[in-house]
Amino acid sequence: MNFDWSTFFLEIINFLILVWILKRFLYQPILGVVARRGAGIEQTLADAKRIETEADALKQQSLRERAQWEEQKEAAKARLREELEVERERLMGELETAVAEERERRRVLDERQQRDFKRAIEEQGIAQGAAFSARLLGRLATPELEAQLYALLLEDLRSLRAEDKRAVADVAATSGLQLKVQSAFALDATRRAELAGALSEVTGRKLPVEYGENPELVAGFQVSIGPWILHANLRDELKFFSGALRHAG
Amino acid sequence: MVLFKMGPFAITSIVMTTWLIMLALGVFSWLATRNLTLDPGPLQAMLEGVVSAMEESIYAVLPDRAQQLLPFIGTLWIYIVLANLVGVLPHLHAPTGNLSVTAGLALIVFLSVHWFGIRSEGLRRYFRHYIIPNPILLPFHLISEITRTVALAVRLFGNIMSLEMAALLVLLVAGLLAPVPLLMLHIVESLVQAYIFGMLALIYVAGAMQSQQNLELDDKGDGNE
Repeated sequence: MNFDWSTFFLEIINFLILVWILKRFLYQPILGVVARRGAGIEQTLADAKRIETEADALKQQSLRERAQWEEQKEAAKARLREELEVERERLMGELETAVAEERERRRVLDERQQRDFKRAIEEQGIAQGAAFSARLLGRLATPELEAQLYALLLEDLRSLRAEDKRAVADVAATSGLQLKVQSAFALDATRRAELAGALSEVTGRKLPVEYGENPELVAGFQVSIGPWILHANLRDELKFFSGALRHAG
Repeated sequence: MVLFKMGPFAITSIVMTTWLIMLALGVFSWLATRNLTLDPGPLQAMLEGVVSAMEESIYAVLPDRAQQLLPFIGTLWIYIVLANLVGVLPHLHAPTGNLSVTAGLALIVFLSVHWFGIRSEGLRRYFRHYIIPNPILLPFHLISEITRTVALAVRLFGNIMSLEMAALLVLLVAGLLAPVPLLMLHIVESLVQAYIFGMLALIYVAGAMQSQQNLELDDKGDGNE
């Protein structure tokens, strides 16, 4: 337990030197790097806080933009609904117009079809009536009836109008013209002579007459003077009758 | 044991051991802190842990003066730990087992208490606390200052010297490996004694730096009463 003053003083000096050494080479560097790390952490935290703030701002901005977008979307939907309504109204109008036109066209078509059908029915009725009349008249066709038609023919020839007679005379002036007389029944010589006289009177000259029988005439006569044909028989009368009915229909 | 003389100073083996500790600490600190990075390796992490633990211990006593006191208190802890543990090595004696060394450290603590107290409070305000609340207490304050300094020196010296002595006696009586448990106790005792010495020094310094504050608080307490 010796006390040495040299050691005592040197220990004091040594400790003070050691304090400086450790402060210079240990504490300051270590505390410095810890402080730098702390500053880095603080900077990181500040950056994180700033980024969080920016993120919040962006989030708020995004929410606002989204709200605006929703409003714009709703407005656009409303406009679209209005446009669709207008377009639907227009299309409905066009459709109604087209339906009306189609209905009118169908009505006209139906009317025409009905008219055609009615006409066909009428023609069929006329044809049936004519056939019925022809069959009936065919059963009634006798020389007696033809005699009456002969009288009627003579009457018609004598009662021709003046301009008709001139036209017939002009035709008869053609050289080589031959008159043709067809009858359903055979004409006797008396009636042939009487008829030739009546024709000469109409044509104004004496022309040769060719007589022939045509049962299709049913009863009566058909006289041909060139292009002129005079009908006085039941077949042609029925044709005229049918044609008159058709024209009347 | 005097090795050689340097002017008026006799260089003993204790001083030489202290220089070796200083050299080792200086070289290690320089090498270890040359390339510090923000992403520490194992050694840097260990050093940061040690320094941070010391700073936090000081911060717990003096929150606003932790970095100011760290070099002094931290060096006390580091140096005393190493000086205590050197005695475990063969052919070396712990410097702290010498009363001259511990007295020198205690004197440094004694002077540091007044140095930090005067720097903190000012000369007049600092010395005023010796005569407050009553000048009659001045002798008791002075005796307290001396006795606690002597106690610092003798406590550390007595513990370390007795451990070395006990290990030597056990070695002489019981044989080669018998003192091993005692050496393990030496390690624990070295850490404890270093902590006690440094913590007492910290408390003394903190008391000096906060002396005026304590007095003002006492005055306010008296006024309230």
